[in-house]
Amino acid sequence: MSLAISRRAALAASAGTMLFPGTDLRAQGANPITIGCGLSLTGALASTAKSVLLSAQIFVEDINAKGGVLGRPVQLIHYDDQSNPANAPRIYTKLIDVDKVDLVVTSGTNLTTPAMPVVMERNRLLMATLALAVNDKFKYPRFFQTMPYGPHGAEAISAGFFNAAMGIDPKPKTVALVGADAEFSKTAVSGARDQVKKHGLKIVYDRTYPPPTVDFGPIIRGIAASSPDIVYIGSYPIDTAGMIRSARELGFKPQMFGGGMVGTQVGGIKADLGEALNDVVSYELYVPAMADKLPLVEPMLKRYQPRAAEAGVDQLGFYVPPQIYATFEILAQAVQGTGGTDQDKLTNFIRATTFKTLYGDMAFGPDGEWREPRMLHVQYRGLKGQGLEQFKRPDAHVILDPPVWKTGDLRAPFAGGKS
Amino acid sequence: MTGDAPLSRPPMGTLAFWCWAAAFTGVVYLAGRWVTNDYVFFAGYIVLQYVLLATAWNILGGYAGYVNFGTAAFFAIGAYISTALNKWLGLPLPVLILAGAAVCGLIGLLMGGLTLKLQGVFFSIATLALAIVTQALITNWEYVGGAAGAYVIRPSRGPLGGSYVEYLFYTMLLLATLAVCIARTVERSAAGYGLAAIRDDEAAAEAAGVPTMKLKVATTVLSGALMGAAGAPLPFFVTYLDPPSAFNLAVAVNTIAMPLVGGTATWIGPVIGAVLLSIVQEAAMVTISSAVNLLLVGLIMIGFITLAPNGIMGLLRGRRR
Repeated sequence: MSLAISRRAALAASAGTMLFPGTDLRAQGANPITIGCGLSLTGALASTAKSVLLSAQIFVEDINAKGGVLGRPVQLIHYDDQSNPANAPRIYTKLIDVDKVDLVVTSGTNLTTPAMPVVMERNRLLMATLALAVNDKFKYPRFFQTMPYGPHGAEAISAGFFNAAMGIDPKPKTVALVGADAEFSKTAVSGARDQVKKHGLKIVYDRTYPPPTVDFGPIIRGIAASSPDIVYIGSYPIDTAGMIRSARELGFKPQMFGGGMVGTQVGGIKADLGEALNDVVSYELYVPAMADKLPLVEPMLKRYQPRAAEAGVDQLGFYVPPQIYATFEILAQAVQGTGGTDQDKLTNFIRATTFKTLYGDMAFGPDGEWREPRMLHVQYRGLKGQGLEQFKRPDAHVILDPPVWKTGDLRAPFAGGKS
Repeated sequence: MTGDAPLSRPPMGTLAFWCWAAAFTGVVYLAGRWVTNDYVFFAGYIVLQYVLLATAWNILGGYAGYVNFGTAAFFAIGAYISTALNKWLGLPLPVLILAGAAVCGLIGLLMGGLTLKLQGVFFSIATLALAIVTQALITNWEYVGGAAGAYVIRPSRGPLGGSYVEYLFYTMLLLATLAVCIARTVERSAAGYGLAAIRDDEAAAEAAGVPTMKLKVATTVLSGALMGAAGAPLPFFVTYLDPPSAFNLAVAVNTIAMPLVGGTATWIGPVIGAVLLSIVQEAAMVTISSAVNLLLVGLIMIGFITLAPNGIMGLLRGRRR
């Protein structure tokens, strides 16, 4: 096999790359199976979306190296929505009407919602990732979602936290709720309120703060003044780091501290917070303690991590890569299983099948969400100083919930780390 | 930007211009009925939305020289009024547009009354503050979803036949045409000359008997109302409205960049700038990269400000001379 590339072919490839940077030319061949997606490669959601793109590219390389699907290469076509929902409708219209993609994948709640009418009007199958409870409003039968929220999305972000909290002896009686005035955190705190009612707790602090907040000392002081047994926080990455640091600096030690804290899942923030994360409880999608039961994830991450370092994205890859890889595995298995890209057949196949993926078995319920939720709630333990490598140890994340994945009990009170 | 004399007036009278504009709208409508690809309507909607916004901005920023950084606030208020009334009463889109325009016109009146005594950079800072305050208020307005955003389920078919997006495109076409006609009418009226006098030297204009305050407030009302009308269909276009997308920086930046690129002294400048820049941005998004989008706008703006401060129309006028 000759590896030589003609000058004309090289020129054509270069020109193609310049004209269509969102297409993976290496995967092009006769009649490829095209998967179209909008990704937030710039703007507020860029760091996660770049990780999504890299994971998808690794899958496409893997599947094409094995000969593609049904003998056809798989090709990814993506456009940057700039983290702006207003761009999503025309991106998905272009993907479906102009690029004629065979399959549509979306990423993110706010970017999936505006894509829904476009997809629904064309009766297309939609495979969503990282989207929270979008189909609760649309009830579209061809919608599927690979984030493991299960059928009750808002509840899933906090249920595990409160399940773990109720294991504290003596049982906690009071709770403080605080969240950023933004979409995810409000949903998380709203779900937490339902959990508070369910477990008969008393709310002693319930506030929101504006997203641009940078000084979290006053918020933590306010919470501390109300002396809650446990603290549930719905926060975004910058707030997450600010809340944890402020709690440490002020020596705040409730029985349990954490919540739906976006950012604790990502390598850069983990490494930066380091031992300040000790005893914090937050949600995760994958942690090394699951490696025994999901043996295919670590080899995939071994390939992802060096490329992520080059690309400047999440270097651990626990958060989205396994889920994204599995999303594309499901699509490939569905195309293989139905013998084509007929949207009716694909929908019926996905609804009826339990998929074997590197992220575990996945089956979808009537609303297109995971039949059973698998949001992990973990407590960070045994961290020293700062640094990324320590998070690769299985005991750095102790899984508290769900029970089937549990690797340890909650350690209370919240005392670890440097104060 | 200041000190421009209007370009040589086209010989066409105002009534004839309105007739030609109506004919143009009709031709585009008929041509649109042959288009079967919705992407054309999606992309066209964005171009027309920016024609409307740039024209609205130019009535105050170009004709009177008062730079408004609060475009996103008026645009977002129009969108949120539309969302709220749709949720409350389920009114048809044209009524929602009128309501959005009316509320934004009223806000323009209040803002104009309070801030137009300030000149230059102080007025601009006040408009920027309006955008920030409005975003904070809407983020805490739970009826329209607050920070979590609001879902708007649009019908799949429009009332004119065809898809609902096609209907949105024609609605925006009508609004943009109307805005251009209004802008040209203002430009060629006594009010237009008064605004040009304010732009050149407000104190001299006042001394010459131009009712500067009344003119500025009236212009702010008109400009705000048109921006509100531009925002009103947005919830149906996106189907999901949250504060970051309604108050998006790109809206404010583009709305100022487009008249600057096209030329601020005449009605045609913002139209040229809006069509040019929005097409460049759309092309960049689906070919090069979105990361390049705002960079392109920034570079084009810098280029025009330094090399052609009177925009494309200024360049053309220079050639004619």
